[in-house]
Amino acid sequence: MKPLTFRFRAVQSAAILGGISLLVAACGNSTSTTSGLAASQVLKFPVYQTAGTFDPGQADAEVDTEIMQNVFNNLWRFDDNLNLVPDIATTVPTQANNGISSDGLTYTVKLKSNVKFNNGDAMTSKDVVYSWNRAVALQGGYASNLSAIAGYSAVQKAAGAPPSSSSGAGGTTTFRQNIENKLTANDPAFQMSGLSAPDASTVQIKLAHACGWCLTAWALQGSTGSVVDQKAIASDPVNWWSKPVAQGQAAGMVGTGPFYLAAYTAKQSMVFKAVSNWWGSPKPTLTEVDIAIHDPSAIAGDVTAWEQGNFDLIGYGGNSGNLTYPLIQGIKGNSQFASQLLTKPKGRTTWLSFNVGWTATGGPFVGESAAAKGLRTAFALAVDKAGLATTVCHDVQCAPATGGLITKGLVGYLGDGADPLSKFDAAQAKSLLTQYDPTGKLTANLKYSYNAGGLNDPVAAYLQNAWQTNLNVKVTLDPSSDASQFISNRLSGKYVMSRDGWQFDYNHPQDWFDNLWGSVASAGGSNTSGFIDPTYDSVLKQADQTPLDAALPLYKQLAQILQQDVAYIPLYYSVANFAIHSYVKGAGSNSQADYYWNETSIQSH
Amino acid sequence: MLTRGTLIYIGQRLVLIVFTVLVVSFGVFAVVHSLPGNAFVSDRVHGTALQILLHQYGLDQPIPVQYWNFLKGLVHGNLGVSLYIRDLPITPLVLRELSVSAMLGGAALIVTIGLGITFGVLAAVRQNTWVDYLLTSIAVVGYSVPSFVIASLGILIFGQWLNNVSHGAFFYPEPWTGTYGTLAELSLPAIALGFYTSGQITRITRASMLEVIQQDYIRTARAKGLENRIVIIRHALRNALVPVTSILGPTVIGIITGSVVIENIFGIPGLGKEFVESIFQHDYNVTVGVFTIYAVLIGFANLTVDLVYTVIDPRIRY
Repeated sequence: MKPLTFRFRAVQSAAILGGISLLVAACGNSTSTTSGLAASQVLKFPVYQTAGTFDPGQADAEVDTEIMQNVFNNLWRFDDNLNLVPDIATTVPTQANNGISSDGLTYTVKLKSNVKFNNGDAMTSKDVVYSWNRAVALQGGYASNLSAIAGYSAVQKAAGAPPSSSSGAGGTTTFRQNIENKLTANDPAFQMSGLSAPDASTVQIKLAHACGWCLTAWALQGSTGSVVDQKAIASDPVNWWSKPVAQGQAAGMVGTGPFYLAAYTAKQSMVFKAVSNWWGSPKPTLTEVDIAIHDPSAIAGDVTAWEQGNFDLIGYGGNSGNLTYPLIQGIKGNSQFASQLLTKPKGRTTWLSFNVGWTATGGPFVGESAAAKGLRTAFALAVDKAGLATTVCHDVQCAPATGGLITKGLVGYLGDGADPLSKFDAAQAKSLLTQYDPTGKLTANLKYSYNAGGLNDPVAAYLQNAWQTNLNVKVTLDPSSDASQFISNRLSGKYVMSRDGWQFDYNHPQDWFDNLWGSVASAGGSNTSGFIDPTYDSVLKQADQTPLDAALPLYKQLAQILQQDVAYIPLYYSVANFAIHSYVKGAGSNSQADYYWNETSIQSH
Repeated sequence: MLTRGTLIYIGQRLVLIVFTVLVVSFGVFAVVHSLPGNAFVSDRVHGTALQILLHQYGLDQPIPVQYWNFLKGLVHGNLGVSLYIRDLPITPLVLRELSVSAMLGGAALIVTIGLGITFGVLAAVRQNTWVDYLLTSIAVVGYSVPSFVIASLGILIFGQWLNNVSHGAFFYPEPWTGTYGTLAELSLPAIALGFYTSGQITRITRASMLEVIQQDYIRTARAKGLENRIVIIRHALRNALVPVTSILGPTVIGIITGSVVIENIFGIPGLGKEFVESIFQHDYNVTVGVFTIYAVLIGFANLTVDLVYTVIDPRIRY
């Protein structure tokens, strides 16, 4: 019997070994190093928007900056918790560390000495001066982030309006080439008087007026505060940003970040590779990031591909809103993947704007009369915001906006339930309507305008139903299939009631209150509601020139002015959803942006 | 061999093509530029920043001036730059997409001609038998059902009902991976695109074959003892194809224009998909560029078919 037992055990052992071997073979890519890292450190994910540009001087969309934060650096940057931390600079300047003068007008920034562009060029303070002057001259969407620096307006005036295109990119080339020529020649007209480089490792910034928000705004990733290489841009001022490079190559898309663009096919794919011996920290573990540019309609197939392991994550690159509710439910319902769904608050608030100040457009809500404010209040109180989040977003894709316009989690958030306009009181709403529009004449033929698509359609239907049910007012829905036309009309105050919203650029209340209401917003062409109030303007000016801690009560006062005036109906805060495999360590997002790629690694799996 | 008359004819047609392209491109140019909205405006880009961008790309100039600038670029093979992906040269992009569309169009043409002629010949040879009835019925179904219905059915069957079996094998990879579709990936869209026109070719081939095989020279060939296969293929088919070539022009045009619909249904990254996307994105230069390419393609397709007539039927002279 003994030999038989021995033989059985031998067969059993062989079977177990064979089984293990088969298992190992089946997990083909699970080859791991001793540290637990997978042998392949290539991160793969899809995006559903094509970047308009990767030129920090011209970038103006989240899809641009989310990617570019891994290629370019700023003086300081946001960490994963949205705190400012040094990036190229040795410290974030404060008055305590003598980085900011006592009058708050002069910033002295010391740069790290080991910073290099990925073409090998050393980065010095002259590169910072060049990059910022260039960004101001280009006058892109985020140029105003540098507007407090002395000489800002003069440089923009010198750069002038770009010459119109004579044949395709001709005018563009001329305009940008002219800027490059002037900057190369150190033309004083193209140098902000407040920006200088006293030595190779020092940048001095003098402001035209005190600025409480500048430090934060200059940190906006992949944007006007980012440092670019003059030599690389000079070789092709128009298309340098779309030209892949090899490490050490002089021309093309050269930055100081931990990754560089290694391959780019428009509307198809992007490949980024890690810079070897990168100067910063943490050193990138990923060797490559492969991005597939897909049509939004491909999201369902991509989720399947993610489940099969063909993608490591979905939602990066400004696409955290693309996972639809059925897809989210599908992932949640799958025991294997449910824990790999990452849900995070997104720094975006959606509200309804009343036409308060555009008299030419008219409507019952215009002005500061008791009737106008009463009717605005009636329409606000008639909407159950919690019900909206449940009905429309299934409490997954959004949360009710109850703490003011600034999204929960950001500086300036007022606190849960702090916004009186977020309350739902159908009885009071009806009472106000009866008081101020007893015949129903004022609120007849009202329209709610919005751009069709996404959550906007069900939100509009919900609002229509709420007003019909609680106020007995029939509001016609006015969807616009063309978002750009809708935005143009909205910004120029052509709607009586319209969908509105804002996604913060940097974590400072100024980003909200400057851009959306009051005289500053009107001058910038973005005052949807037409709300203008001298007190608001005065408090805003004071707040903007005050350091953040001291300015917070002032910004709170601004929020209260808007609430008292009932300039809007708060609707919801967006929620971001990511599908991230558990083996992708360090991946995730805060309410502004994805975590940096150099913090990410792929564990053996 | 090209005669003097043929060369003159080609010259005249080329002039006509140029004229057509000018008219068509200007029409499209004027229409897309008059659509509300633009490629740049957003919550962040408005006011002065928007005006600067519009000015930078010449979009604030009068339409005739913008069109003149477009034409100047066109004669140099430069279709301008994309507004959606700023400054991206359009010509290489649309040429890449044209190659994808050409692959699909070629496959659809093979389906159209292959199925149409085969079915037509078989139906004629087996006239009034079940083969004839079956193939004629298929042809009727073919030209009665629009291509987008066939495409949708294909997706429903292979993408939904049989997905567990097909595992997406019949669907084009997205985005364009740098290689062209496999036979399986091309099959569904090619059939959807070519089936409609193959029905017409079946009908014409059948009618033409029936007429030809009644001719004396066919009877003579059979009397000489030639195999039926040789009589049909060598003697009857060539003459029967003359009427078929007369609808090749419209067939090719139908495939080119039909590809706009099919590419969008199947998500094939070709010229047709780009055309529709560019309209929604207000990428005017791409829209006009793609439409201009379509106009050129259709013009040259017609010209080529006209020249093919002279090869198939020597009686035709220009």
